Amino acid sequence: MEIAIGIILGCCALGAGTAMIAGIGPGIGEGNAVAAACQAIGRQPESKGSVTTTMLMGCAIAETTGLYALVIAILLIFVAPNLLVNILLAAV
Amino acid sequence: MKKVNPIIVKETLYIACWSVIFSMIMQSVFLLIKKWDYTVLLGNVLSLVAGVGNFFLLGLTVQKAVTKEEKDAKQFMKLSQVARLFTLFVICVLGAVLRCFNIIATVLPLLFPRISIMLRPLFNKKSNGGGQDE
Repeated sequence: MEIAIGIILGCCALGAGTAMIAGIGPGIGEGNAVAAACQAIGRQPESKGSVTTTMLMGCAIAETTGLYALVIAILLIFVAPNLLVNILLAAV
Repeated sequence: MKKVNPIIVKETLYIACWSVIFSMIMQSVFLLIKKWDYTVLLGNVLSLVAGVGNFFLLGLTVQKAVTKEEKDAKQFMKLSQVARLFTLFVICVLGAVLRCFNIIATVLPLLFPRISIMLRPLFNKKSNGGGQDE
């Protein structure tokens, strides 16, 4: 029983860690978006307002990917172990 | 202190309004399934403030980044994203560890800004009245 619970906890922790890999992507994506926006504003300074608005929304959407990963990791760490252990105990 | 761009304030207000509406819907769902208590409300408020604050900080970061050089802007955005994600992580952990917060009500409102942004084209289309076809 202890081994089974240990495996459940270990797998949850591994899953949470793996999910957080997705947190790297938004940082790189936002960085590239802002770099491209800097270039665009450099070429056409009068379009700064519209570029900023569009980029703000784009960055917010890109960032949500990281948030999904965060939510899944938190649920895997704090909610899933109790739930799975309870299911296991009920089954036994 | 540098002045905050009015576009960022406007967009943050838009996100905040929709997040409050979605929070009300979430509270109603908790009431309907008879799982509502003060922890749901507290978790929702904590997460709502964190989500909208995160968007506002993103706006401030973007405002500052567009004034920098290309490479510096890239680094600045990456650093800001990591810092904001870590802050949200701490808030989620608080919501999960402290008994005065419901974890589901703490985690779900973080996704409301994305839903608000997804809804935006629908309302823009209606307000434009199909003028884009011409």
